Amino acid sequence: MTREAFIARLREGLRGLPPQAVADIIADYEAHFADGEAEGRSEADVAKALGDPDRLAREIRAESTMARWREERSPSAAASAVFAVLGLGAIDILVLLPILMGIAGAIFGLAVAVVVCFFAGAVVFAAGPFVDPPGGPVTAILAGIGIMAGSASGGAVLTIVSIGLMNALVWYGRLHYRLLKPALES
Amino acid sequence: MPEAIEIQLKKGALELCVLALLSQHDSYAYEIASRLADAIGMGEGTIYPLMRRLQADGLVETYLVESSSGPPRKYYRLSEAGRKSFDGQKEAWSSFSGAVDQIVFGGAK
Repeated sequence: MTREAFIARLREGLRGLPPQAVADIIADYEAHFADGEAEGRSEADVAKALGDPDRLAREIRAESTMARWREERSPSAAASAVFAVLGLGAIDILVLLPILMGIAGAIFGLAVAVVVCFFAGAVVFAAGPFVDPPGGPVTAILAGIGIMAGSASGGAVLTIVSIGLMNALVWYGRLHYRLLKPALES
Repeated sequence: MPEAIEIQLKKGALELCVLALLSQHDSYAYEIASRLADAIGMGEGTIYPLMRRLQADGLVETYLVESSSGPPRKYYRLSEAGRKSFDGQKEAWSSFSGAVDQIVFGGAK
C-alpha cells in the first residue's frame, strides 16, 4: 500500500473525531512515513509495519470515544462509545447486540417509569390540599413527597446501574483491540 | 502503595521502555518506535497511541524542532512527573524482576 492510500484510509476511518485530533494523528503517521523513507524503507514496507489503516482507525476511534465517556458521563458519550465498541466488529460483540438492545430497552423503560412516577407524586402533592382526598390533605402531601422521593432514589439507582453496565461494556470492548493492545494496557 | 506499584507493573514494560529511552535523551516517535521494534518486537504503529496517552497523563511534553528537510519534527521529552514516574517504575521493575530471577534461577546461583 502506498503512503497516500494508507493516509487516505486512515483519514476516512477517523471521520467524526474532532478535526484537531484527526490532524494530529494524521501528522504523526505522515511523519512516520517521511522518517521511514529517509531511512531508505519503501512506503509499502512502512505501511505493512503499521498495520491495517481501517483497523487502526476503528481502534483509535473506539479509544477516543471511551476516553470521552470516562470524562463526561453523558448519554451521548455513552451512545458513541457503544457504537465504537460495536464498530470493532468482533463476532462475539455482535452476538451480544440483541442482549444489549434488550438491556438498553429495559433501562429506557425504567427511566420513563421513574420520571412518570415522580410527576405523579408531584401531582398528588400539589393537588392534596384542593381535592379533599381520602385521609385528608396532610396524608396526600406526605404521600406525594414519598412518591417523589421514592422515584428519585429509583432514578439514582438506575443511573448507577447504567454507568456500571457501560463501564463493563467499555472494558469488554477494549479486550478486542488488536493493534493498540500493547499501547493501552493499563 | 503496593497496589499502585502493581498497577504500574501491569502497565507493562512498554511504557517503562519508552520512559527509559526518553530519560537518556529527547527523541521523536519514529526513533523510539524503531528502537523498541528492534529490541522487544513492538508493532511500529503502537507508539503513537502510547505517546498520546503518556502526553495526556502529563508524563511527556512535546516541542517542535525545525528540520532541514520537510516539516518540523515533534520531539518528546520527559516532564518532571514523567521523570518521577520513571524512577518509581524502574524501582518496581527492578525489585519485581529481581525477585522473579531469584525464584527462576535461584537454584543455579
